[in-house]
Amino acid sequence: MQTNQPCKTGLDFLFCIEIQQFIITKLLSDQAVAAPPSGIINDSQPTGIKTTSTPSAKKDDNVVKLDIDKLPVRVQRIVVDGLTRTKDDIVIKEIKPLLNAKTFDELVHLSYNAKVKMERLGLFKNVVIAIDVSKDNKEYGYEVLFEVQEFRRVDGGIHTSISNNDGSLDFQLKMPNILGRGERFSLDYTVGTKRTHGYSAYFKKPLNNNPDIFLGSTAYQFHGEYPWSGYKQTDRGVAFDLTFPTILGSHNIQWEGVWRDLRALARDTSFSVREQAGHSLKSSLKHTFTIDTRDDPILPTVGVLWRTSQEYAGLGGNVEFAKQDGMFQWNTSLPLDAIFQMSLAGGLMRTLDPNTSVSISDRFFLGGPLTLRGFNLKGCGPHSYDNALGGESYWLAAAHLYSPLPFRPGKGRFGELFKTHLFLNAGNLGNLDFNNLSTSFQDFAASLRWSFGCGVVLCMGRIARLELNYVVPMRVQKGDKANPGLQFGIGIQFL
Amino acid sequence: MALVVDALQATVGASEPWPDDVLLYQQYKVEQITLPDCAQCLAVEAFLRMCGLRFNVKCKTNAEEMSPSGKVPFIQAGQYLVSEFDPVVFFVGTKGFSLSRQMSDSERSEMRAYMSMLENILGNAELYMAWLNPEIANEVTKPRYGCSYPWPLNWLLAWRKQRAVKARLTANDWASKSVEEVSEEVHTCCLALSEKLDKKKYFFGDNPTELDALVYGHLYTLLTTKLPGGPFTSVIREFHNLGDFCKRVDSAYFSD
Repeated sequence: MQTNQPCKTGLDFLFCIEIQQFIITKLLSDQAVAAPPSGIINDSQPTGIKTTSTPSAKKDDNVVKLDIDKLPVRVQRIVVDGLTRTKDDIVIKEIKPLLNAKTFDELVHLSYNAKVKMERLGLFKNVVIAIDVSKDNKEYGYEVLFEVQEFRRVDGGIHTSISNNDGSLDFQLKMPNILGRGERFSLDYTVGTKRTHGYSAYFKKPLNNNPDIFLGSTAYQFHGEYPWSGYKQTDRGVAFDLTFPTILGSHNIQWEGVWRDLRALARDTSFSVREQAGHSLKSSLKHTFTIDTRDDPILPTVGVLWRTSQEYAGLGGNVEFAKQDGMFQWNTSLPLDAIFQMSLAGGLMRTLDPNTSVSISDRFFLGGPLTLRGFNLKGCGPHSYDNALGGESYWLAAAHLYSPLPFRPGKGRFGELFKTHLFLNAGNLGNLDFNNLSTSFQDFAASLRWSFGCGVVLCMGRIARLELNYVVPMRVQKGDKANPGLQFGIGIQFL
Repeated sequence: MALVVDALQATVGASEPWPDDVLLYQQYKVEQITLPDCAQCLAVEAFLRMCGLRFNVKCKTNAEEMSPSGKVPFIQAGQYLVSEFDPVVFFVGTKGFSLSRQMSDSERSEMRAYMSMLENILGNAELYMAWLNPEIANEVTKPRYGCSYPWPLNWLLAWRKQRAVKARLTANDWASKSVEEVSEEVHTCCLALSEKLDKKKYFFGDNPTELDALVYGHLYTLLTTKLPGGPFTSVIREFHNLGDFCKRVDSAYFSD
């Protein structure tokens, strides 16, 4: 086996089978060729497997019929052409299984698998496979040529991204396959509509040649403003995470160390928020578990999403809490192209340092045009002079009935991006007293908020969701900022 | 803009009487506060005491970050937050309390001149000594400044603060001075104050003024703080009437 050798000589491209071509010809040959015992090849015609010429075989009744699937092969040479910075060992590991191919069909499958895997590992932009008979005329001898195209060393881009009711412009500089084994490095600068801006550097490395298992590390600085709570915060941090799949779902384990500088946003910021100004250092370990069987993240028609996360802060630093958060979403298709969606979410946190309470930047907030509709963004729960203070526990439930637009304009085209929906939201946010759980649960149930309404949902390219709703808040608690009537929302996260 | 807002807020607040629950926010005196901040806090406290106003001192480790101007001390009167000496004097004035009401215009401008000299010379000298003297900065000021934060924030924030002070003192040409030159400046300042005070009880007669509060804040802090080297303490001790003045204010207003 040879790699890293720009060798095209000795390969007769007339008889090469490009993988795409091969699939077509294979279909044709399946129709045209009966199934005689495999391996009948006339020695006088070593080039007899001219698969590309199979269609012409239809015309000739005297052609040697062969079952290409079971054609025995012995791979003698594999050539990978186009390697510059990709390391030999990782490529060898991916293409080595080809040497064990027994039949032609197996060889094609293994080649295709190697191509897909190398592309998923981020090694190559494009891989073209050519399979040819061996030039030294050995019986059943074959050669495989991988013509690979590596990524440019440095690539860049500008794109817009959307978070909840905030848009931002991202400038990215990325270096794919930077060290030659599928590692990826990127630098980002983002500037948002609400005077938010940040920089980050991200490095990702697949482990064990598996594109689904990878280590990530990032260093970042981010400045954000949170007008609903009247504060601004600059975060500077580093994080390391490991992502790996299991039969049930995907796990992510992350350690994050972040220095947060919280300041009052304006002179009229509530004193309860101002009191929390200052520097804090959070060192936390977080585990996230995700199962996602949905067919679309924004407007799913079927499938389930389950996501839970546990966070423990207190490995050094001066922030100590334990936090549990989770959400579940279930979608099912109904007759007449209708879809029923049911979502539940909830979270709970507790300070582990009895002398302090959880900081406003770690707390839960509730309300907004995509979560608890009918309320302003983060407009539910305890407030102090118009500033949302957040809570240490929350729950939220939503039921949606989606249907296509009436009279189906643009059916099959842009009309599929729109859906009308009827919905019902309920939720609550507050602080549980762990010493008196039954009473606080009763309070929690008694101070429920709920709303219902209808509206139009627009799916924006599988990345964001736009909703225009008419909402009727039915139960509002004192201090809440309700938003009855028309409400517009844009974002990624929704319930 | 901030000044306009301050003035407007103070004017709006003037219609209300002095509230009962006024709090003076500052850092913890024993473990945390640095010398220049301590002088400022003591000056404001002395001023409020001389005015005979009700207030309580509240110590918070994050007082500096809580302050609307980013500097200690600040007072919370009802919903108004006022930080630093001059704005506090102005705010208290709108409530009808002033130490300089009986003074003539020329006396008042003389007092302003002394106050500005004090802020310029002693204020910068304190910053110079606390943050630019390597021995004092590393052994006292930086550990105190970072004492309420975990590693590595404690040295990071102290280093950042030191850099900011250095930039400020470089901008007004203090950073390039030697310790002797700074001591000379302090000596000149004290000489002027000593001559003005002479044998009077307070700088402008028998009643204290804003200047008295400010002088007390700075000199008392410099005289009582124990620092390695402590070059200015001996300079100030040369002027006996200033030392006596500090004792006098201390017993008259801080005896509780």
